[in-house]
Amino acid sequence: MSEILQYIHKDGLFHRMHPGTKIFLILVIGVLTILTLDIPLLCLILLAVLLLALAGKVLREVLQQMALILAMSVIFILITLITMPEGEVLGYLIPGGFLPVTTGALYAGVLLTLRFAILIISFQVFVITTQPRDLVNTLEKAGVPIDYNLMFLIALRFIPTLQIEAKRIHEAQLARGYAPGTGFVGRIRSVAPVMVPLVSNALSRATVLGLTIDMRGYRTRARTPFREERMNLLDRAVIVILATVLVAFLAGTILPHFGYALG
Amino acid sequence: MIELEGVTYCYPQGGRDALSGLSLSVSPGECIFITGPSGAGKTTLCMAAAGILEHEYGGKKDGRVTINGKDAKEYPSLSDISTLVGMVFDDPEAQLIFTTVEEEILSALERRGLSPAEIEERLASIMEITHLSALKDRAPHALSGGQKQRVVLATTLALGTDILILDEPTAELDEQGTESIVSVLKDLKAKGKTIILTEHKYSRFRDLADRLVVMEGGRIRASGPPDQIAGDESVRRIILPDFSGIRDFSVPPPQNGGKPLISVRGLEHCYGDVPALQGVNLDISAGEFIAIVGENGSGKTTLIKHFVGLLRPTRGTVTVDGKNAATAQVSELAHTVGLVFQNPDHMFFANTVAEEIGFGIANLGIPEPEKVLEGVMEKTGLSHARDLYPRWLSRGERQRLAIACVLAMQPKVIVLDEPTTGLDGRESREIMEILKHLQRDGRAIVMVTHSRQIAEECTDRIITMEGGKIASDISRRD
Repeated sequence: MSEILQYIHKDGLFHRMHPGTKIFLILVIGVLTILTLDIPLLCLILLAVLLLALAGKVLREVLQQMALILAMSVIFILITLITMPEGEVLGYLIPGGFLPVTTGALYAGVLLTLRFAILIISFQVFVITTQPRDLVNTLEKAGVPIDYNLMFLIALRFIPTLQIEAKRIHEAQLARGYAPGTGFVGRIRSVAPVMVPLVSNALSRATVLGLTIDMRGYRTRARTPFREERMNLLDRAVIVILATVLVAFLAGTILPHFGYALG
Repeated sequence: MIELEGVTYCYPQGGRDALSGLSLSVSPGECIFITGPSGAGKTTLCMAAAGILEHEYGGKKDGRVTINGKDAKEYPSLSDISTLVGMVFDDPEAQLIFTTVEEEILSALERRGLSPAEIEERLASIMEITHLSALKDRAPHALSGGQKQRVVLATTLALGTDILILDEPTAELDEQGTESIVSVLKDLKAKGKTIILTEHKYSRFRDLADRLVVMEGGRIRASGPPDQIAGDESVRRIILPDFSGIRDFSVPPPQNGGKPLISVRGLEHCYGDVPALQGVNLDISAGEFIAIVGENGSGKTTLIKHFVGLLRPTRGTVTVDGKNAATAQVSELAHTVGLVFQNPDHMFFANTVAEEIGFGIANLGIPEPEKVLEGVMEKTGLSHARDLYPRWLSRGERQRLAIACVLAMQPKVIVLDEPTTGLDGRESREIMEILKHLQRDGRAIVMVTHSRQIAEECTDRIITMEGGKIASDISRRD
């Protein structure tokens, strides 16, 4: 079973980078991706993210997400075809003039797909190359309240545990003659025998989890770090480059919209 | 170090008092072993002693809890008490927050105002005591139950408290896991820690305990030197599981002429490249009561999953009532073989006990559902619970409900994975009595168990597995 969003211990580019640098990196990528409407630029960013994943030795893990991203792409394009029939008509999905395929809808669908692909992949690269402890410490230093950090940490920590439990529950129900339903209603109905035990078991852990957090003093006592992550030359270089890219992008694409032009 | 004087407590949900007028005094360096049936108030006692009741729970409280000479009320918060008292709960999963063993232990060390050099030194010594050095980069889900509980114990030790309270730390663990916890606790006791421990498995902890406390109904029934207390007949009945009279050779042995219900030939199973079963041959006939024993990872669970088609043979054949288990649907095999999983909470999703049992009946289209339902509730002693919410039942009742759910599908073979995990002696006996009745009805019972005692005192045939092979297959009738 592949584990979703779990830290993978390797010696890659990102593993050596300071968590703060990585947070800045995904923030810059996020800003660029959300603000731009330029498909070639988005393709370039996607390529850059994939190349970074390769340099970080996590390309294989990233490519495992491709099925999800493709499925999402199909859904986005279908939705935009139905809801945004703008621009030139290229053809029809259903012969006889139904569901026109338009350039405007295709553009919007591809734009959405690229944006989500970039955001998902960059977040994944960030999470699987960063020790959760370093992540939490960095966020704590950046002033994020400890409760939010713990929430994030616990969410990540329990993903594989829940995956394993879901499999066990599914097997237990199969042995009781449970047949996952067919059709839309059947599928929804057949969720209960697996989801109810999964969620109930998770909730029943909350009390002990809460007591454990309090008794270890995570929320009340100050932390004296054992290993202090420090920014190295690579981090500084990356931050300078990213800041330059961000400024250039904002200056070149966003400001003109507000009536400022360079030069 | 900890003093309870006349402590009475009732949970906010109401019901009877969980503790009533209980007094207990714990001296430094002492190891107190607290036992008693489920619902006796052991967990509540632990939470009272750790100051949790005082600071985190509402409900009716009376009496006084003193920790290191100071009333638990006078500590500003639970976090302050936890610099003196460390607590380990029964479910290790809920006590692991970080994603590797080392991070977990460090997270506690880093909250104590120590210098990096001190942290490094203590980390190393804690890893050594708890035998975790080789596992330091493992994620929680990649650890066995015993290993997880050792990490929890290590993290609690990292808090540096002199007092340790452990509430059924081995309830969910197998023999090996239990042994590893016992050996760590022995070392800690030798280092002078004060230990309060609740458990069912008295015989495993006998050497460790300085004092034995037996609880019943929220009160202390007996307290004193272990050998002296355990000598009392009425106490023995509470602390030592008793399976006398369960085995019954008057039941005629299975007829050899009849075809076996399950027949396994040359079974091999690999997870990826890793062989989990090799060359397994086995026949199971009606009326047999079989125990499958063996260490963790010996292939017990892998074997039984083949009986219902949840796993398919890599090589060899499994025939279930004439059907080829390699190709038959799971729902088809469920007519013949009922599988009861280790943790009953992995199956309950309905609102009432009756609905829960009805799920399997409806799935398989069993005729006369109402009559079947009544029948299995009576057989498993759950008739009183018909309209209750399954998750509110006691652990023993939940295990019986799990058996009822499977029994309702009227299988000829009932396979159970560790049916006595987390149960006290009386509850375990109830399960064995139910299984014995089912055997008399002519069903075959196959039970995976870690308990040698249950295997030897209750079943007719013991199959021992080792490294994916059957090491021995001994009939007790001969």
